[in-house]
Amino acid sequence: MTNNQQSVSSSGTGVPEEDTATVPAKGRGRRSLGAALGRSQLSVVAVLAVAVLLAYLLADSPVIATQAIVTGLLIGGVYGLVAMGLTLIFGVLDIVNFAHGAFLAVALFITYWLVSSMGLHPYVTILVTVPVMFAVGWAVQRGVLSGAMGKPLENQLLITLGISLVIENGLLLLFGANPRSVPLPGDRTIGILGAVADLSRILAFVGALVLAGVLFLVLQRTRLGTAIRAVAANNAGAQLVGIDTRRIYALTFAIGTACAGAAGTLVSPLVTVEPSTGALFNIVAFVVVVIGGMGNVVGALVGGFVIGLAEQLGTIFLPGQSPLLSVFIVFVLVLFFRPQGLFGRTS
Amino acid sequence: MRKAWYAVLVAPLALAACGGSSPGGGGAAGGGSGETIKIASLHPLSGAAAADGQQMDNGAKLAVEAINAAGGIKSLDGAKLELVSADSQGKPEVGQSEAQRLIQEGAVGIVGTYQSAVSANVATVAERNKVPFVIDVSSADSILNQGYKFTFRVQPSATVIGEEGAQYLFDVSKAAGEPVKKVAFLHEQGPFGSGVRDAFKKKATELGFEVAPAISYDAASVADLTTQVTQVKASGADVLAVAGYYRDGVLVAKAVNSVKPPVNAVYGVANGAFDLPQFPKDAGTAGEGYFDANYHPDYTKQPMKDLAALYKEKYKDDIRTGAVLSHESVRVIADALERAKSAEPAKVRDAIAQSNLESLMAQSGPIAFDEKGENKGAIPILMQVQKGTVNQVWPKELAQSDPIYPAVTP
Repeated sequence: MTNNQQSVSSSGTGVPEEDTATVPAKGRGRRSLGAALGRSQLSVVAVLAVAVLLAYLLADSPVIATQAIVTGLLIGGVYGLVAMGLTLIFGVLDIVNFAHGAFLAVALFITYWLVSSMGLHPYVTILVTVPVMFAVGWAVQRGVLSGAMGKPLENQLLITLGISLVIENGLLLLFGANPRSVPLPGDRTIGILGAVADLSRILAFVGALVLAGVLFLVLQRTRLGTAIRAVAANNAGAQLVGIDTRRIYALTFAIGTACAGAAGTLVSPLVTVEPSTGALFNIVAFVVVVIGGMGNVVGALVGGFVIGLAEQLGTIFLPGQSPLLSVFIVFVLVLFFRPQGLFGRTS
Repeated sequence: MRKAWYAVLVAPLALAACGGSSPGGGGAAGGGSGETIKIASLHPLSGAAAADGQQMDNGAKLAVEAINAAGGIKSLDGAKLELVSADSQGKPEVGQSEAQRLIQEGAVGIVGTYQSAVSANVATVAERNKVPFVIDVSSADSILNQGYKFTFRVQPSATVIGEEGAQYLFDVSKAAGEPVKKVAFLHEQGPFGSGVRDAFKKKATELGFEVAPAISYDAASVADLTTQVTQVKASGADVLAVAGYYRDGVLVAKAVNSVKPPVNAVYGVANGAFDLPQFPKDAGTAGEGYFDANYHPDYTKQPMKDLAALYKEKYKDDIRTGAVLSHESVRVIADALERAKSAEPAKVRDAIAQSNLESLMAQSGPIAFDEKGENKGAIPILMQVQKGTVNQVWPKELAQSDPIYPAVTP
């Protein structure tokens, strides 16, 4: 309890430097609400609100701040989308899956191939990418990773790193390194409160919300979800009540990989399709997973928003700096005040 | 559909079964024979810049094949050239160790390496081993500011591109009756982007127009540039200048298309996207009218057209500027071998320093190096996307068509 309280007030002072005046007031106001919603989540909302306010004060024109927020939320949705599968695998199998970005790249190329050779609508290809990536995930877990389960962390880490190298260079061999693109028919610009966003980004954002909702329901409401959570919470206990943990491991890895498949299709109109495109998302996705709390799907989505906003607002607070700087400032602060992540439980 | 399954499942798994493959690899199958002279090609064949790296390696190969087909090095009894390809993976430390290995394998010269950070490391290896290193692409000025004797650069430096870029913009906008007043400069944050920005800004101040704001981004991780372009729109600049690479260049075009800043032109300075043949395809109509002041092959020359056709036939792809520069760099070494009448690296170095070689690039004169190792003839020229193709538009004597300015109607 005391620990929590500390994290509330001090994480508030940490993020935006110039803002010592507003934080104590926020800290007091939250105390009553805090009991209902969880203090760390509330403090995130408070810090974000302060950051947004500051952005409007510091930006040369309000439309820049609005644009940064709109873009930050939309891109945060994409980050959350990519991180969801990763966090599931992290939480249940305890595997640091370095191949996640490569799986995403595979899905991108399947989408590209189906769109360019058969003329399918990009979003229709999700009917192919999700089952294909599910099967790939299953095969990889059963074939390559199952032998390393329960072994030291670096065993699985090296295996997934190897898989990512094989996939990336395999794609390089098959498709070449030239960047390709997947156009979305009817893509257009949509105005939001003076800011603008492409339809494809908004749809990817909506897709992220839907996918998070589906995953959340599956985990909370189905027998399979209960079994997955049971294995994540206590492997030996789950075995004792008759859960086939080997099957759950394979299924979870397959579901996580299928998420990468869905993400690949949804982001295909936004990015250039190259073998290394997936790796672009890898670092940010890991940051999102850790910020959200390992294994927490909703946490991944919220973590995505936090990182997306940090990146975009960072261009206003720290002009001329890499957006990754503000991302890692936020990351380090979260790790310092809440090592288990915003939505994680202390173990 | 079955093919997709096959490609996705079989390829990675089959490779995995082999125990994982290491990326890239050498091309040094033969070697050892006394009559061949080894030239090393060190480029990023895997990783994020693989598309450019492979193009450049292909360009070097075409140069070696052409020289061998024409009878090799005549002053050395028709000795044949052998190209030894290596993969820098775009990483400075890998480039450094690969350069060392290539020299130990007997390369008389190295051509490379695309990334400035890699070239800086390779230059130190070349210097220590006294083997000439001809930089095809790497713009950072700092590489040749160390007083190196064995490093030469064929492309123009960041300073030359930035200064000439500002000059061309001034000239073209003035000729169109709408002289440029304020330029917003969007650039990648590395030494390349900031080096070009500084040179551009300095020249702009001399010419009497303003450069503000300058906004940077991380080319390796950026996923959207809408906020940055909104900043440009709010600044009231009449030209948006962009220095960056391919992927981010396409993102700029997408963002400009959404935000629609009221600028007269989107103007690339050494931009890695706007002058490439596939850019109009990837950006669609959004890329129409984009300028790029960049080093470029001279397509008004017949041999350049032939090389482009040969490349297309052999590699089923449009040749990029980088590949032409690698081609020219190999020619520089071959020409030096011819004049040195020796395959001794130190003598080749001295001959390179005396080069006077006609180039397929658009240059102000032949390839000749100053005491720092910079190519004295290297200049950028101005290109513009017109009706979906990239045309040379400025200076007048190298133009394929007239520049259209203002280019973008808000």
